[in-house]
Amino acid sequence: MFPSVDFVGNWRRWFVISGVLLALGILAMLFGRLDLGIDFQGGAQFTATGAERQLSEDDVTAALPPGIAEESVVTTLGNNGYEVRTPVLSDAESEEVADALSEALGAEVSATSVSPAFGEQLRNQALQAVAAALLIIVAFISVRFEFSFAIAAMAALVHDVLLTVGFYAVFGREVSLVTVVAVLTVLGYSLYDTIIIFDRIRENAPTLGYNRRRFDEMVNVSIRQVIRRSIYTSVFTLIPVTALLIFGESTLSDFAFALLVGILAGAYSSIFIAPQTLALYKAWRAGSVRRAPSSA
Amino acid sequence: MGSTRNNLIVLGLVVVLLGVAAYLIFLRQPVTESTQLGLDLQGGVSAQLEGSQTGGGNVSREEMEQASDLIRQRIDRLGVAEPDVRVQGTDQIVVQIPGVENPDEVIDIIGRTAQLGFYQVLATDGAPNTPAEEVSSVEDELREDLQDDQEYEPGETKILFENSPPIQGGGTDVFGYIVRQQPDLTGEALQQNGANVEFDQSNQRVVSLQLTGEGGDQMAELTQEMINDATVSGEPALLAIALDEDIQSAPQVQDVLADQISISNSGLPEGLPEDEARQLETVLNTGALPVNMEIISQTEVGPTLGLSSLRSGLLAALVGFALVLALLAIIYRALGLVAALALLVYAFLMWGIVVAVPVTMTLPGIAGIVLSIGVAADANVVIFERIKEEVRRGRTSRAAIQAGYDRGFRAILDGNVTTLITAFILFALSTGSVRGFAVLLVIGVVLSMFTAVVVTRALLGLLSGRGVQLSPAMMGVSKRGISEQETAG
Repeated sequence: MFPSVDFVGNWRRWFVISGVLLALGILAMLFGRLDLGIDFQGGAQFTATGAERQLSEDDVTAALPPGIAEESVVTTLGNNGYEVRTPVLSDAESEEVADALSEALGAEVSATSVSPAFGEQLRNQALQAVAAALLIIVAFISVRFEFSFAIAAMAALVHDVLLTVGFYAVFGREVSLVTVVAVLTVLGYSLYDTIIIFDRIRENAPTLGYNRRRFDEMVNVSIRQVIRRSIYTSVFTLIPVTALLIFGESTLSDFAFALLVGILAGAYSSIFIAPQTLALYKAWRAGSVRRAPSSA
Repeated sequence: MGSTRNNLIVLGLVVVLLGVAAYLIFLRQPVTESTQLGLDLQGGVSAQLEGSQTGGGNVSREEMEQASDLIRQRIDRLGVAEPDVRVQGTDQIVVQIPGVENPDEVIDIIGRTAQLGFYQVLATDGAPNTPAEEVSSVEDELREDLQDDQEYEPGETKILFENSPPIQGGGTDVFGYIVRQQPDLTGEALQQNGANVEFDQSNQRVVSLQLTGEGGDQMAELTQEMINDATVSGEPALLAIALDEDIQSAPQVQDVLADQISISNSGLPEGLPEDEARQLETVLNTGALPVNMEIISQTEVGPTLGLSSLRSGLLAALVGFALVLALLAIIYRALGLVAALALLVYAFLMWGIVVAVPVTMTLPGIAGIVLSIGVAADANVVIFERIKEEVRRGRTSRAAIQAGYDRGFRAILDGNVTTLITAFILFALSTGSVRGFAVLLVIGVVLSMFTAVVVTRALLGLLSGRGVQLSPAMMGVSKRGISEQETAG
């Protein structure tokens, strides 16, 4: 497939496409669009389901107890559901909010609350989990392939994670514990794609010494050999994920959104970022090895 | 491609496993009860509590185990079905109670340390009929005022508050009391099962406390001293009864009290509200928790929300599954049908494992299973693409299938190991429903390697062993594809 595309030679083009998307996401994060949910900063969240009366978001806010209403965010969920997020509440206040909601809407109210200290603990755990995953994966690839492959895979992974989180910021979706789970899943999944391509590069790699033109062309051939598989695989995974996004409610749809972005980013990075990074790194190493003796 | 005998053994094993799964799911119990649903799918209350020492020291494992026992006893006294109370990590307790009708009451009862304390009131100040939203600011004002009182000495004394419904008018009566740092008498003075809900002479509901002999003597001593102090100062002698630093009531002591004392609320015509009285009775009789417990997160899921989550999750899983099956058959024709069959086997065995372990099904768990369907299909895509590639190079279908499995398997193994790594990290560093996701992902990955690689290979091997030759077209390779590759290569 794509016999005429020079995947490695045109690396600048692919990197620019990613770069623009990444910049958008990072800008959105810098402008504070990343919406950390109660899991990470503490607070309370009320979910009203099966509401008998349909009220506007403003009317729902007005129905909340004074003092709490000003600091609450109300969003609608589907046809007859509402979600209210508030700062940390006492037990009594929490009961008041739940009662006010069920009275105003005639709905069943479910509540979740997280203390700020616990939110911080969750945030640290999440960061630790992502960091640990990256380190162990680099070690694994270094052992199964070689270090240069691990560097390239790492670049692709960081790209995927940043892009996923960036899109969360752009679309103003709430980052929860489920998002972290999704990001970790994306890590594993995107790596799977990358490894399939690396496996082929390993298989096709000549036993002779390194030659930039030959190596780059071999990477191109390897990509062409597996690109169809990469596309099909992404499609096969994206089908159930899209079904989750469409039919799943709140939690499932958040999870599916992160996976959708992450898997697309992963498919892109395994074809357009990881092999190119590998080729560039190899070329740079070869260059610095050649220069080193002459300068010494 | 393995001998026919090996292939038959593999397929025989699959049939046996399917039989076991069918027994576990359908026959052992009604199918509706076979799968354990998590709280997020069936509704209920879950809370995570963190224990701490008053002084800030470390809590021990025994103290946490003891606390979780006490919490279980308290919930049992409420008569709710099957609470799950577990110690998690070094200082946390997770409580999960499915299908509760009065979640607030349960939450109130589990986290209370229930440290009972009797204090002599040294000085007091109050603000009657405070509107609800001003209570905390009024408490701050009272605290500042009381800190200026001559009885207040930092380190020696502390200020506790009482919020109670007023005898007349609306709002809340807020009182602040200066008391000694340590209670003059603690819950140890209470007799076993000594707390009872009763009605006093004026037919108000009270919780009576029966003290032990020794406790009664100490109480007599304390109240005698208080009456003496009161005659000197001319102020009324108030005895504050506190539970976890909240004053329940502070009755005036007229005579020396002995072993019978009661917590009352004269502000309401009925006395203590019924549910509050019952809670007090429960926490006092089960005894105080050995450590302070703070609720760090809590979730209440109503039954309708749970049901609709379950429905939408199942719908998404089924639609995704059906589309994947259809696409496999369209792209890979005969090979795809074999893979689709293997995927059906995968789904059924997965269900069997979920029931057998049993794994509690949660929303993230459903997401994990849906994702693993994609991963399982993917293993076949890797192998089949390789087979098609070999066919395009002009190999016979038999040789192409052989090469496809041999070469594809290495890539699948490496890929799946990375997924397993992330799943293990998730499991090690997380709690609750995230763990469920990790467990299902691990089971899914391992099981999918079995069905997508071993089972499809045995099926294909058996087919070709019976003399069924797959033409390139039956594998989804067009004639044009073959010649294209030849000219390109």
